[in-house]
Amino acid sequence: MLKGRSMKIAHCGRIGRRVSLMLALAVSLSVAGAADAQTILFENARIVPVSSKDIKKGSVLVKDGKIVRVAESLEAPFDAKVIDCTGKTLFPGMVDPHTWRGMDVPNESPPVTPFVNVYDAIDPSQLFFEDSLRDGVTSIHIIAANDCVIGGMSRVVHPIGMTPEEMTTAGQVALKLCISPKNGFDRMLQMATFRETFAKLDESMKSLAEKRYEDKLREEGKDLDVPPEEEQKRGRELIRDEDVDEKDRNLLWLTQGKIRAFIYCGKAMDVRPAIALAKKHGFYEQTVLVLGSECFKATDELKDARRPVVLDANLVHREKDPITGEEKETFVPRQMDRAGLKFALQRQASSSLGDRYLWYQAARCVAEGVSRDKALKSITLWPAEMLGLGERLGSIESGKDANILVLTGDPLDAQTWVEHVYVQGEHVYDREEDIRLKKLFAKPAEEAGPSTSESAPADEEKAAEGDSKPELKNADDQPRQDQPRRPGEGRRGGRRGPGGGPRPGPRGGE
Amino acid sequence: MSMRPSISILVAFAIVAGLFVAARAAAADDASGPIAIKAAKIITCDATDTIVNNGVVLVSKGKIELIGKASEVKIPKGYRIIEHDGWVVPGLVDAHNHIAGSLSDLNDGVYLTNPGLRTVDVVDPRNENLENGLSGGVTSVLLIPGSGNNMSGFGTITKTFGNSTDEMLIRSPGSLKIAQAGNPERYWYGVGRTFMNWNTRNTLQKAKEYHDERTDYEQGGKKDGPAYDIVWEDFRGLFERKYPVSVHTQIYQVYMSTITMLRDHFGLDVMTDHSTFDSFKLASHIKERKMIPIVGPRQFYPDFRDRTISGCASRFREQGVEKVGFNTDAPVIPQEDLCYQATMACWFGFDDHYEAIKGLTRIPAEALGVLNEVGSIEPGKDADLGLWTGSPIDPREHCQMTIVDGKVGYDVKVRRRTR
Repeated sequence: MLKGRSMKIAHCGRIGRRVSLMLALAVSLSVAGAADAQTILFENARIVPVSSKDIKKGSVLVKDGKIVRVAESLEAPFDAKVIDCTGKTLFPGMVDPHTWRGMDVPNESPPVTPFVNVYDAIDPSQLFFEDSLRDGVTSIHIIAANDCVIGGMSRVVHPIGMTPEEMTTAGQVALKLCISPKNGFDRMLQMATFRETFAKLDESMKSLAEKRYEDKLREEGKDLDVPPEEEQKRGRELIRDEDVDEKDRNLLWLTQGKIRAFIYCGKAMDVRPAIALAKKHGFYEQTVLVLGSECFKATDELKDARRPVVLDANLVHREKDPITGEEKETFVPRQMDRAGLKFALQRQASSSLGDRYLWYQAARCVAEGVSRDKALKSITLWPAEMLGLGERLGSIESGKDANILVLTGDPLDAQTWVEHVYVQGEHVYDREEDIRLKKLFAKPAEEAGPSTSESAPADEEKAAEGDSKPELKNADDQPRQDQPRRPGEGRRGGRRGPGGGPRPGPRGGE
Repeated sequence: MSMRPSISILVAFAIVAGLFVAARAAAADDASGPIAIKAAKIITCDATDTIVNNGVVLVSKGKIELIGKASEVKIPKGYRIIEHDGWVVPGLVDAHNHIAGSLSDLNDGVYLTNPGLRTVDVVDPRNENLENGLSGGVTSVLLIPGSGNNMSGFGTITKTFGNSTDEMLIRSPGSLKIAQAGNPERYWYGVGRTFMNWNTRNTLQKAKEYHDERTDYEQGGKKDGPAYDIVWEDFRGLFERKYPVSVHTQIYQVYMSTITMLRDHFGLDVMTDHSTFDSFKLASHIKERKMIPIVGPRQFYPDFRDRTISGCASRFREQGVEKVGFNTDAPVIPQEDLCYQATMACWFGFDDHYEAIKGLTRIPAEALGVLNEVGSIEPGKDADLGLWTGSPIDPREHCQMTIVDGKVGYDVKVRRRTR
């Protein structure tokens, strides 16, 4: 089973079938079925547990998908698969706190859609998931983007599996609420829409409560005994989940504190209304603020609120003085750090630069004065806590899901590569078997070896030509273009077969 | 029976009345009476894959009577004998057609789901596209509304030839048409998959609740069931699996939603048309559920990400999906070109020509749940036959005569349509 789910499957095919299997890579990465119960002992590893001090040489015992023990030295149980990690570093799978990627569109057109669910739009075949796995991100919070008033129900997934069910780490996580106005709205209309939505919810809950109370009286054969206002109060707790209209249910759960609110504030001025909204409707304790880079100006309000924040992938806020023309730079994570806030870093959605990697974002924080400890937490433990999954994800400690990365070096080092990924104790990625990285690691002699490009058959040229007029379905289908073309390396008519396609960028680009 | 006098009269008539009318009149002229078709090869597509060389098919009262070796079968008196030095194959079945009715009645764009509509209201026996379909050996089609809505109405399974809608009808409702993504995305200011899937699921959920409550009421469980609802009534056959949902679905994620929502969650009988792009990556799930992908009208998938080209049907097959069918989506491509869908599938690696012929006949009939009536040449079934010069998969061959319910609907000698 373990083997079946790893990238290895891409190599099990018949010789000569490799090209077509490469195409199926997204699927071969992911195979149905529950994990076989496995006991694994990683030993002789440098461990960066995040939740506690680094261990120079230690062992991690994994059983049934969970981390059982972490210690300097452990006896291997008789049935354990023992993996020697000499020279390697173990690091928890990273956690992406907030992204719409993995879906077809960022937002629905109607402004208020708390009833929809990202489950219906998650596309396991997107390159995004494959890249996430390769980059060591094992938990991804997929949520509606910021162009709405209230967006649908979110979900935390691991980037492996053929359907959203197989990929789910946790369903029913959070709703998106945006204080910055949706496209076509202004702030007043945005806030008026919130008022109207919550007022409607309140009304329908009142009438439902009244009905439920009267139903109860009827069952007991009693007459009406109290005025409607009192019925509404007494009937509240009689409301069962199945009584609630499907369109209201998620919103009701939000006001009951059962799910989380990710509230987007694009500007500093949005922070105060966000906090007020959360307090008024009873989900303040479950609120995570998603901030635009300008929001550091509301640091005082944020400090008072003491709610965790998700920061913009653009870590530096730049502003020009309109009179002097002087440019002012602010490194936002450092500001949040100074204010004592827990923050989570994001990846830039469609970037070909370093900011598409969480480890790179964290490394930049260290450069700007954030402690290493906090920088690491901002891509692991803190986002896990924001999602209500602090007990399961974000660190290497006993009791947690065995989402473990085997790295070639320190997580923040630019020379470090993800060698293996374990998700819930299953070996799901092996860099050796990663076809998309083959070229990147080919030794020069190998690459210059017997060249297929010399005799590119006609049909291969046809395939390359097809590239010039692709029918693209989404950004993930973009042909890779991040590497500059060398002279004579043009696509059309270039003497290159499919095997000689453009190389992925550093760390396996898109 | 001599055909020559009637033809010469008809040719004269055709100058006045036009060729189409003539062709139909000729067919009607030969309609009565039983026929015996002697052929070099009969591909029956029956359950045991019988092929009869130098055989004969007896047809009477619109049904197949008998199939056997020409040397063994004694043709009874009164049977008109058609000598055919070629192949006889079952009439082709297209599970995805928009042309049996009027094209202006394809979609109602007011709501994202409008299940109250039925294509049986717009079947047009005089549709010239159907006549063209006959020239390609097509005898049965599922007429479905367009894919502009998530749920655009109930389809109709109909013959391509007959005097009236009633005579041609095989089954109504033929299917419920659902389009899970793609075209409906253009609705309003654009809708995404979270909204569309929520909407479709919600509509089916309401229908399911109606069905369950109504069933309970009818069986005497509850005293006051839900009020009779003419729209939800049509859905009951879906939950009883009397007819399938025919789903416009393609692309990995969308096909995946078809499986998880329609098949797994609601337990419906699912027939997928299109089934193209990278749907084949779900082959393991499709195989496990014994679903039948009906592929077309594009038979290949160029993957720009990985720079590969795949044959959709062959990728299903090589991963163990036993039954794969083909469809045209006419008028996207002409109805009469149905056989070329299988031709192109074979060109793209679907290397079993016999299975490809089944994918044009028996398999779509099975997917639609009409295998008792059409889709193979077996005694008792409708006499829907194509008389081809050779294999329908081979583009060098052509259909010479098409017989629907025992009547000649197309005869190349009367009217030839070049495909």
